[in-house]
Amino acid sequence: MNEELDSQLSAMFDDELAPGECELLARRLSRDEQLKARWGRYAVVGAAIRSERGVRLNAPLAGLVSAVILAEPALAAAHGARRTGVRWWQPVAAAAVAAGVAAVSVLWLRAQTPFAGAPLSAHLTAPTATVPGAAVVPAAAAGSPDSYVVPRAPAVRAPVVPSTELANYVVAHSVFSSPVTRRNLLSAFMTGESGSAAEEPRDDAQSNVR
Amino acid sequence: MSADASDLSLVRRVQRGDKGAFDALVLKYQHKLVKLVMRYVRNPAEAEDIAQEAFIKAYRALPQFRGDSAFYTWLYRIAINTAKNAVVSRDRSPIEYDLDRNNEESYDMQGRLKDSETPEGLVLTDEIRSTVNAAIDALPEDLRTAIVLRELEGLSYEEIAAAMACPVGTVRSRIFRAREAIDRRLREVFEGGLGRAEELG
Repeated sequence: MNEELDSQLSAMFDDELAPGECELLARRLSRDEQLKARWGRYAVVGAAIRSERGVRLNAPLAGLVSAVILAEPALAAAHGARRTGVRWWQPVAAAAVAAGVAAVSVLWLRAQTPFAGAPLSAHLTAPTATVPGAAVVPAAAAGSPDSYVVPRAPAVRAPVVPSTELANYVVAHSVFSSPVTRRNLLSAFMTGESGSAAEEPRDDAQSNVR
Repeated sequence: MSADASDLSLVRRVQRGDKGAFDALVLKYQHKLVKLVMRYVRNPAEAEDIAQEAFIKAYRALPQFRGDSAFYTWLYRIAINTAKNAVVSRDRSPIEYDLDRNNEESYDMQGRLKDSETPEGLVLTDEIRSTVNAAIDALPEDLRTAIVLRELEGLSYEEIAAAMACPVGTVRSRIFRAREAIDRRLREVFEGGLGRAEELG
């Protein structure tokens, strides 16, 4: 037998072999009966030196354990079978969790939106707005990367453009839109005008915006 | 060097379905486990049965072993629980040998000299033991010191190197050569002893 291999076996027995070498030798040890017998004798030498009282050094224990284990399924196969057995509920659980998250998200969004419960007309008069002097500046000016832009005055509330004026704008430029689109837009503006006017009076700032 | 790397590499193989790797673990720890179980039961044969049961339980539980503790520590716990359960189920009170380490060592050292005190059923064990002792006595001083420090005192290679004022590589070589010299003598006993064991059984 190879002396270097036996030297490694002795070091492995003492837990003094590098992990990488242990991996290689463990593979060989599990298959090579001669090497395994030598390994077993190393254990006997240790037990004999320690004079372990009442312990039979020639006990057939290893052979008996090996015979029992040989009749059992290999661990990887047994473990795989157990995993397959419980796998059916995993997609069901995943779907249930996903549905729960979706429901919570919808409810949360509905609670957060300012138009929750408002009529459709209110949505139509939503701020299609211009911000006074809302020229945007590149974020790079503030020392940030210029991949996005930020409004110059975000704290000022954006005034709403009156629907009537937008309607006038649409009529003036009607030559560029189809009759159906034009009619839909106008009716939406007219409905929105009355709804928003009832809710909040126009102030001077709003009226000055064009 | 990571402690327990050798056991862990064998354990990982068993977990991947290599039953042969478990044989190596049983061979390595069978004597220590029987000795441990004998703290709870009197009869060596009963201790062997309990140790066997503990090994089989360990094999079945091995998929749950993650390597957080050393394999031997984990195996120890299984063996102790198995022994305690066996004692309870047979309605016997456990026997604890309240020997401290020093007393145990002195007993062991004396035990090496008093092989005639061992029970009748351990005749082959006596022969093995005396063969090993004779082989150790025949070793050169440096090899004998290295193997005794390793097996009897449980020192690491680094500690032995410090004690013997030599490199770790030399310690590894000395221990290997000592084992090889003892193994040559032991092989003869095992080859001749198999037939005798059948006669004894």
